[in-house]
Amino acid sequence: MRKQLNIPRATTSVIFLVLMFLGVGLVNPRFLSFSNILLTLNSGVVYTVVAIGIAFVIITGEIDVSVGATLGLTAAISGTLVRDGHMFLGIVVPLIVGIAIGVINGFGVTYLKIPSIIMTLGTNGIFRGMIYVYTQGKWVENLPINFKGASQSLIFGTFTRFYFFTLVGMVLLYFFMTKSRPGRYFRAVGDNPNGANLLGIPVQGTKFSAFVISGLFAAIGGLMYACRVGFITPIAGMGYEMKVIAACVLGGISLTGGVGSIVGATVGAAIMASISRVLVFLGFSSDYDNTITGILLIIIVVFDAVIQKSSAEKMRKQRLAAKIVQGEEVTDA
Amino acid sequence: MLKDKVFAMEEKKSSSLLSVRSITKSFHTNKVLKGIDLDLDEGDVLALIGGNGAGKSTLMKIIMGIYQQDSGDVYLSGELINMSKPSVALAHGVYLVPQEPMLFPNMSVEENIMMGFKESPKELQKRLATLMQQLDWKIDVNRKAESLSIAEQQLVEILRGLLRESRILILDEPTSSLTFNEVQALFKIIEDLKSKGIGIIYITHRLNEVFTIANRVAIMRDGLITLSGPVTNFDHEMLVEGLLPDALTHQETKVVAEIKPIEYDTMKPIFKVENLCGNGFHNINLQLYPGEILGLAGVVGAGRTELATSIFGRDEIISGKVYIGEEDITGMSTREVMIHGLNYVPEDRYAHGIFGISDVSVNTTSSNLVKKGKFFVNDKDEKDITQRYIDLFRTKVTGQDQIMGSLSGGNQQKVVIARALATEPRVLILDEPTRGIDAGARGDVYSIIHQLKSQGLAILLISSDFEEIVELSDRAHSMYFGRINGEFSKNDITQDNLMAAAFGVSKRRIANA
Repeated sequence: MRKQLNIPRATTSVIFLVLMFLGVGLVNPRFLSFSNILLTLNSGVVYTVVAIGIAFVIITGEIDVSVGATLGLTAAISGTLVRDGHMFLGIVVPLIVGIAIGVINGFGVTYLKIPSIIMTLGTNGIFRGMIYVYTQGKWVENLPINFKGASQSLIFGTFTRFYFFTLVGMVLLYFFMTKSRPGRYFRAVGDNPNGANLLGIPVQGTKFSAFVISGLFAAIGGLMYACRVGFITPIAGMGYEMKVIAACVLGGISLTGGVGSIVGATVGAAIMASISRVLVFLGFSSDYDNTITGILLIIIVVFDAVIQKSSAEKMRKQRLAAKIVQGEEVTDA
Repeated sequence: MLKDKVFAMEEKKSSSLLSVRSITKSFHTNKVLKGIDLDLDEGDVLALIGGNGAGKSTLMKIIMGIYQQDSGDVYLSGELINMSKPSVALAHGVYLVPQEPMLFPNMSVEENIMMGFKESPKELQKRLATLMQQLDWKIDVNRKAESLSIAEQQLVEILRGLLRESRILILDEPTSSLTFNEVQALFKIIEDLKSKGIGIIYITHRLNEVFTIANRVAIMRDGLITLSGPVTNFDHEMLVEGLLPDALTHQETKVVAEIKPIEYDTMKPIFKVENLCGNGFHNINLQLYPGEILGLAGVVGAGRTELATSIFGRDEIISGKVYIGEEDITGMSTREVMIHGLNYVPEDRYAHGIFGISDVSVNTTSSNLVKKGKFFVNDKDEKDITQRYIDLFRTKVTGQDQIMGSLSGGNQQKVVIARALATEPRVLILDEPTRGIDAGARGDVYSIIHQLKSQGLAILLISSDFEEIVELSDRAHSMYFGRINGEFSKNDITQDNLMAAAFGVSKRRIANA
């Protein structure tokens, strides 16, 4: 019943993903090998985590373009602390920083009523700049082997530990969002904020927590990035905001809010991760990566907007027509 | 007088289901509610009627906790409640079914109904099924709310309220978009709820419904309850009278103008609308003569603005014809309609009318941009035109470069009218030209309108202020649910007639009552 609403959109995305693999497989059969598929999914783990976080914000009808800078800053903080031997702090402090950035964004959007695109564009600039200040523009290198190794260990010989935990997290969050009372507020708030307010749902509070979740997940993404890449440059995570927003949209999450699921974000992130590898297997330069992501994003958003506009127009006409019909019956009575 | 007699009959009860006492509310300097007392008992259906802007919706939003009152108290069953937010109202069993259903379009009916409950979904599903069985409503709970008709959405809203076991249900114009059969079904439900002791506040614009469904009635006008009591004490005529202002409040604005009678026999209409159908209006026929003011009365939502904007090329026309002189302008774009000599001064200045952060000069001449075929804007032309209208309308500005948004409402309206005139139209549609402006400015706008009339401009005056129509119009039509339901010649334009027609009461019915 409820699934009827989410699953079709995520299903389309899964079909898209499968077709993409099959299509590329026709050109280059090696692409369809089990190990390549796994490698592709595992390589998308950072996108997936950040996309799941930002999905909460997008589903409430807002946007967060500061995730790239959040990821970069938290990765740099984690990297320096771990390099200097503070393993525990290197994990905890970045998470706190991520939450703090989410709190700042949430505060600006819900209490100061700054449009979320502007608020997060501003914080994106601030925290990107802070990476340069913090690292003095230098790369963070020489991370201990055991830290870097955390990203390599496999579970059941297939998924990396990170991807496995991400999938478990996805399932838990999916149930949180569809089954729990506060979890369902996110979609309600994005779907019709006034209606939600009328039902006593804390609209601003829900949006606020969405930003905090997004900040936290960007920080988790930052930790994973530090582990996986092994060094952090000042431009780490740059452009991730477009990738993860595109991932959400590809996964069936509407930018106008109220539509979509965590599963969709995960599938969308897998598609994003695949595109880079597809280019390699088709013999194209990966320079096309961002261009293709951008084109996909716009095609889907335009398609969505056209559908929404026509249905809103239909509703308006129907409503106006209903009044006339009623008038006829009254005057004839 | 009759009103005073009825007013005295209303006794205050302390243990009513709902009592509001001396509620006041202002938005900026605008006093919307000026001390409202209202009581609702168990099993009451209280019909609340009043013109647009009387404060009905504001009052309901205060009871629902969406707005907070400036002063006054809300009591539920004798207990003082601080309605700080909607969840407080919901917890106390108050539920508002808004005029435009506020569903979550992307969720299923079931999700919509069950949203925001603390109970387990299983229990809720069971209660919902029982409730729907009791009411004998058949609606597929798995459908997406988006796909429901307005009537179905309204039913879902009511289900929501009932499932919350609300004791007070506020229905804001519930029948405004329902068909005849759906209205009958709704009335049956209301009767049923009444017998279960639920108190209902029923806001409506249809006086007939008051007598069908309500046992008590209250009339709001200008932020006050002017009349209330058991329905049996009233008839149609008394309600219409209650809706009218006490005395002519605009008296100070009366403009003494020589009214040249229009020679309808010899003149040809400059503007004709024939069997026009569109979104929100049906089969409209109008004729407008040079130098004539034709009033178009009705309540908000009657389809007048939709008619005007469609003629102005902003919405599609389904069938019928519009002529200026002999020229057919049906379905032309806004730009072409303006070039053919028709302009429209919109109802909502803030949304459509002004460029708030531009100066007066830019605002006055901005509609000229479409007419002057040149690429560059002529500065001197702009200044001349602007100055001419500032002088003509006695607009209070510090200079042509004053920012539009800093002008008072009345002066903004003058600039907006000036802008429409700057295109030198032959036909002007004014939509609520004096809404939200003070008495002095209103007088100025009226004299502007008279001035234009004497210059031979044909004016279609859309107004919900019937006094305005009485004062200015040579002829008047009334619109009711998308159709013209009354045509009045100069002598028949009275507030009584317009009010009755706007609320869908026929003359015959008043005569019988």
